Amino acid sequence: MSKIAIVTDSNSGITKEEADRLGIFVIPMPFMIDDEHFYEGVNLTQEEFYEKQTGGAVISTSQPSPEEVCRLWDQILLNYDEILHLPMSSGLSGACQTAMMLAQDAPYEGKVFVVNNQRISVTLHQSLLDAKILIGKGFDAKTIREKLEEDKFSCTIYIMLDTLEYLKKGGRITPAAAAIGTLLKIKPILQIQGEKLDAFSKARTLSQGKSVMLGALKNDIETRFGGVVPAPGKVWLKIAHTANEEAALQLKEEMLEIFPGYEVEIAPLPLSIACHVGPGALGVGCCQKTFA
Amino acid sequence: MSYQEIDAKMLSKMFLAGAKCLESKKEYINELNVFPVPDGDTGTNMTMTIMSAAKEVTALGEAPSMEALCKAISSGSLRGARGNSGVILSQLFRGLTKVIKTYDKLNVAIITESCEKAVETAYKAVMKPKEGTILTVAKGISEKAAELSAAGVTDLAEFVGQVLEHGRYVLSQTPELLPVLKQAGVVDSGGQGLIEVLSGAYDALCGKEVSYTVSDNAPSDEKKTSAGQSEADIKFGYCTEFIILLNKNFNIKTEMDFKAYLESIGDSIVCVCDGEVVKVHVHTNDPGLAIQKGLKFGQLTNMKIDNMRLEHEEKLFKEAQKAEEQKAKEVKKPKEPPKKVGFIAISAGEGLSEIFKSIGVDHVIEGGQTMNPSTADILDAVEMVNAENVFVLPNNKNIILAARQAAELTTDKNLLVIPTKTIPQGITAVINYMDGSSVDENEEVMISEIGKVKTGQITYAVRDTVIDDKEIKKDDYMGVGDDGILANGKELTEVVLETVKAMIDPDSELISIYYGSDVSAQDAEAMRNEVAKANPNLDIELQNGGQPIYYYLISVE
Repeated sequence: MSKIAIVTDSNSGITKEEADRLGIFVIPMPFMIDDEHFYEGVNLTQEEFYEKQTGGAVISTSQPSPEEVCRLWDQILLNYDEILHLPMSSGLSGACQTAMMLAQDAPYEGKVFVVNNQRISVTLHQSLLDAKILIGKGFDAKTIREKLEEDKFSCTIYIMLDTLEYLKKGGRITPAAAAIGTLLKIKPILQIQGEKLDAFSKARTLSQGKSVMLGALKNDIETRFGGVVPAPGKVWLKIAHTANEEAALQLKEEMLEIFPGYEVEIAPLPLSIACHVGPGALGVGCCQKTFA
Repeated sequence: MSYQEIDAKMLSKMFLAGAKCLESKKEYINELNVFPVPDGDTGTNMTMTIMSAAKEVTALGEAPSMEALCKAISSGSLRGARGNSGVILSQLFRGLTKVIKTYDKLNVAIITESCEKAVETAYKAVMKPKEGTILTVAKGISEKAAELSAAGVTDLAEFVGQVLEHGRYVLSQTPELLPVLKQAGVVDSGGQGLIEVLSGAYDALCGKEVSYTVSDNAPSDEKKTSAGQSEADIKFGYCTEFIILLNKNFNIKTEMDFKAYLESIGDSIVCVCDGEVVKVHVHTNDPGLAIQKGLKFGQLTNMKIDNMRLEHEEKLFKEAQKAEEQKAKEVKKPKEPPKKVGFIAISAGEGLSEIFKSIGVDHVIEGGQTMNPSTADILDAVEMVNAENVFVLPNNKNIILAARQAAELTTDKNLLVIPTKTIPQGITAVINYMDGSSVDENEEVMISEIGKVKTGQITYAVRDTVIDDKEIKKDDYMGVGDDGILANGKELTEVVLETVKAMIDPDSELISIYYGSDVSAQDAEAMRNEVAKANPNLDIELQNGGQPIYYYLISVE
């Protein structure tokens, strides 16, 4: 049986401790903030990021340099036979495309398998855990990649933004999402589905938004993932947020009232998303338990 | 004169006389509004509804066929329907003409049958028919007709006269059926309008001289005019209006004499005496003569003389210009495939229009409190929205029926009326629209969400009244909530704060304030600060609504 390593980037939201424990390698995402280079989780914490963002700093995201990616792969391949590489969604960044290109050439061809399953944040994190499970079951990297890509739509994320300000500055949303509400204070609710971050609905207050998201989640679970709410078992529930932990904990309680007994994971959204949605965002999601 | 039968020519005369009579009492009927807010002009709405039909009737000439006449009355009033009372009036005509269009001459039995049909149709048009309204008066009329018919009455003048008398009696009883009327000390305004129509028709039947032509500039706020009238058609050039403050006795004889004199110098005569004042309206080539005659009875006030020939030229010019623009627009707009869903909102004020457009509304019809758009206005807007399904947001309880009527008349698109009663409800409905969901799902979500936003509207009282056990003085500020008056008083800030207080509950998060055209940005900002001070835990949003009549529209959600 070949020895398989898992590589991801900091968009999976995996903490350093967890990554160390599971033996997962993490590439930090680079940021340019007011012309200075930063690496997520290396020399840039969540707190520092939001401080700069709300202070009006000019922030741009970038993808990891091919050189860094290759250097990590080279190092890993000294000790492992194969690599499963799970970058952030190809719909939101060129990182996946770059990795796929690199993996086609020697010396990585047949050794590095880039998983293009269009996930990010809590759902990408779930893919890492799924990959661990599949490795444990003895599949080779190529088969695991196929299985994960087949399963790419078995998840869903809804995010409610506190403000439209940062969304307008960013470029990774469809025109429909950018056009909503220019006069009224509106909290847009976005959906990450497959490769796109798109407008799903709108709300004017926090409770309206939460009710829309939880309703949409329940609908997805029942119509797409074969679940019957309130019976748990088919999915893992997720909550993600940007600098909004208190609201996330409150939401977890409300979520458990509708979905009693479900497993709920709370995680901060990665900074690549925070860059576009700004602080105060709150999201819900779920992943189907396909491989458990 | 005694008739056993009425032919189409006579019916046409009677209808036009009825329309005229209603028009002359328009202002009086407007004043009968229960709610002392400056809106919901029943008289104006009913007049515009019937005038739309009267124009089509006039266009048929003096001797139309019964079928053509019925079609003109029915379709004209249907398309011109404005406001709830206007829609009900149009439905009464629709039911009435359904029966009589199959006959050439009408007798008591046929008229009785048509009245029954009219009442049945009108009751069906209203989701929750209320007694003590125009419906009750119509029903009373129909019942009296049946009674007289059964008793063997065949003389039409006697028949209509008795029916009218009974109608007046039923009208006088409306305050007994509707407590709000009793408290305000008025009879139902829609019922009054119906009686005026019947009364005009009765006058015509009895051979009382009335002008049967429908003047082009009346009602004065009618937007559309019948095209094609040439300048030569204007026989009398000056539209002359004034009010006489009587200092001499003005009895029925003097009234008749005065009208006869006016008829000798012009047409389109309206001469109404309300005890102390006489309102005069005449189209004549010599306004001086009318004014001199008026001066004999007292001082004159509210004098207005317009040269209709010049106005007419201007109007023709403007119409031509508009037609050109319309054509240009059509050329510019190539026929694109229709989108799936479009939105139409009815709202008054530039700020609110902007807000509606910013959240995705395709077309905003200017209208609302004082100006209820007609079914035809809504149909015009629907025409302009290139979509398979069109959601209509009336944003006023007095426009919902007209919108529903438009939905019934639309065949090439699926028109869905979301029954929004206020502007904030309309905004909430659009915000809750979800692109991915089906039209039916969206309709359901929007209807359920509009119930979750509370609205308070700050305006002033147009007269003294008692309502919801609150004593309100003329010019008081009032906060009108979804279910009645929340606050009233002399201080605007206090009324606003009290209104907001009555609207919030522990789950409230956001107060939106839309300030009207009579409020300056600074005053609005100051008001926001006052509201914020009183509600420190809530988000407050201030927007320039630019709406007339309402100083502030406030929503809490």
